[in-house]
Amino acid sequence: MTEAQNGSKSGSPGFLLSRLEDWARESSLWPVTFGLACCAIEMMAMSASRFDVARFGSELFRASPRQADLMIVAGRVSQKMAPVLREVYDQMPEPKWVIAMGDCASCSGVFNNYALIQGVDKIVPVDVYVPGCPPTPDALLDSLIKLKERIGMRSGGRHGSQTLPGVGIPHDGTSS
Amino acid sequence: MALTEPESRELLTVNMGPQHPSTHGVLRLELTLDGEVVVHCRPVIGYLHTGIEKTFEAKSYLQGVVLTDRMDYLNSLGNNLAYALSVEKLCGCEIPERATVLRVLLAELTRLSSHLMFVGSFALDLGASSPFLYCFREREKILDFFEGISGARMMTSFIRPGGLMHDVEPALLDQISSLMDVMPGYIDSYEELLTGNPIFRERTEGIGVLPADDALALGVSGPALRGSGVALDMRKANPYCGYESYDFEVPTGRVGDCYDRYLVRVTEMRQSVNICRQALDRLPDGPVHTSDRKVMPPPKEELAKSMEAVIHHFKLWTEGIRPPPGEAYVGVESPRGELGFYIVSDGSGRPIRVHERAPSFANLQALPRIMEGGVVADVVACIASMDPIMGEVDR
Amino acid sequence: MPATLAEVFGPDTTTVTADGITTVSVDLADLATSLENVRSQLGYSRFVDLTAVDRLRREGRFELAYLFYSLERHEWLRVKTSTDGEAPSLTPTVPGANWYERELFDLFGIQFEGHPNLKRIMLPDEWQGYPLRRTEPLGSEPVDFTVTRKAYGAD
Repeated sequence: MTEAQNGSKSGSPGFLLSRLEDWARESSLWPVTFGLACCAIEMMAMSASRFDVARFGSELFRASPRQADLMIVAGRVSQKMAPVLREVYDQMPEPKWVIAMGDCASCSGVFNNYALIQGVDKIVPVDVYVPGCPPTPDALLDSLIKLKERIGMRSGGRHGSQTLPGVGIPHDGTSS
Repeated sequence: MALTEPESRELLTVNMGPQHPSTHGVLRLELTLDGEVVVHCRPVIGYLHTGIEKTFEAKSYLQGVVLTDRMDYLNSLGNNLAYALSVEKLCGCEIPERATVLRVLLAELTRLSSHLMFVGSFALDLGASSPFLYCFREREKILDFFEGISGARMMTSFIRPGGLMHDVEPALLDQISSLMDVMPGYIDSYEELLTGNPIFRERTEGIGVLPADDALALGVSGPALRGSGVALDMRKANPYCGYESYDFEVPTGRVGDCYDRYLVRVTEMRQSVNICRQALDRLPDGPVHTSDRKVMPPPKEELAKSMEAVIHHFKLWTEGIRPPPGEAYVGVESPRGELGFYIVSDGSGRPIRVHERAPSFANLQALPRIMEGGVVADVVACIASMDPIMGEVDR
Repeated sequence: MPATLAEVFGPDTTTVTADGITTVSVDLADLATSLENVRSQLGYSRFVDLTAVDRLRREGRFELAYLFYSLERHEWLRVKTSTDGEAPSLTPTVPGANWYERELFDLFGIQFEGHPNLKRIMLPDEWQGYPLRRTEPLGSEPVDFTVTRKAYGAD
């Protein structure tokens, strides 16, 4: 399925189906609960009634990574937590996306020290970075919409994870 | 077919966390179960260790305020306050009345927002999703106020050594005043859903009992300690920021179960509304910065007239606050218990040690005590009722 | 109670720090008995905090600061001692000191004799080093900004 779509022209049999796939995937991004620190509170505020992420398709935050396709790394990733994060990421089925929420997930934010992974893109490939400490729920919704644009029907046939030039480790475990 | 005795009773060790759907952060529990009964519980922390205490040593005292926001992230203004009080004790500077009253208002609003979060997530952990949405609705109003005064919803860094960041506009104070008028009605609505609810009571009464002696021996403080019947509240016992002149009560529980801890926090919410109203009523006019020029910079107008002001300004911007050598600890009442920053200064612009006495760190030590002997289904209720914030546990 | 403190610890051993908390300095050898006296005889029964300060001295490098609280008098008492890396554990008598001592072992490398489970608590178990010692670096990563690269012509 993945090979056939790159550069496929309109009218070919797989085209509509892949468009449908993209639409389905971007309309129902279910995040895995990965709230680590302060950003988790703003992520919860995003799922509450004022900002309501459910209207964007993220109706449920799944506890099990096997049932989720989006990982919003909300908070600072410490040295002890890094292997756990990678394990949870590995358990998510393809296609999967990662949003690095907040300054700590993007680049360790205020905490440039021994204890934190200096940006979660050192261990998982990130699709969208959201600046802010913590980013307001509006900002996180904006990032979700940008991600949906990347994977959705308007993405021009590119779909699946890692539609952006990857940083760091390829998500399928192979080394580039 | 007759039921036969099991051949052997094997204990099962289950790992819970650090990623789990309970909204209390990255806490890992190793539970040893005998069937459904929790025989042994070993909390493993450190998954959010941020090295904040080490980072303080590389920052000036003013830059340190930003770090304090992120420790107990639901009580960010309370953390700012505890840190500012310690630095002010070191410097020996006086804070004007308006700043003190506003500090009380902000601290109580933060307590209110933290307890709103507690009620919402406690109910969510037990399976009730509506109170979560209602509580967040009110929390949003408080966060709007914080955003109005400082520009940031959560990490405001508004309370600094020497006073506040700047003054608060009257329009925002009116907004908060009208919120305080309707808040008791909202708290009534949460109580209507939860306090008398037979399912809620079944799941919290008699669960996670923490006797008062054990609580004191384990260093527990705050609503968890008051739920066990010990009436210790830093605002009453060791008042700061003028708390002795405010009229409020300190609720205590009887048994020390999850229900008592919940009731203590809900009653504290009502008392916080009370204190906020009193603070708004008595708010005087005046500056919000200390007149001690070694802590807070002089106003801009003075720079054109006074050479001394220019020197103070220069020294503050190049070296920062330089308290005399010494140490200070001020214990304040955070929504989780006794919070304090032990700051050790050697006279330079950077502290040599900043240690946060985090209430959740001590409270979590009580988790094995309250969970062992209970069933695994009550583990989530027990954790939620202690209301830990892993940011301050791991620092 | 300064009078009673003088009885237990001798005169001229207490100071009052900037926060108004009475501070007693004791020798490491007397630490266990002093803590017991503070809790039972002087009535500061509630254990509040235990932390360490790296004073970078040749002798007695780490200054341990115990903070106790009296429920009757509503005041704190600080007990300080100096150690080069070992101290008796308070955990057998005060269960609340358990994690505090583990934290100091983890971050400073101070060994507490008699502690039931002295293992790392904040950092991963296989971590080498004691980061909060002032001889250890912060461990920060150099930050490379594109603007400075362009300005200094390295790009």
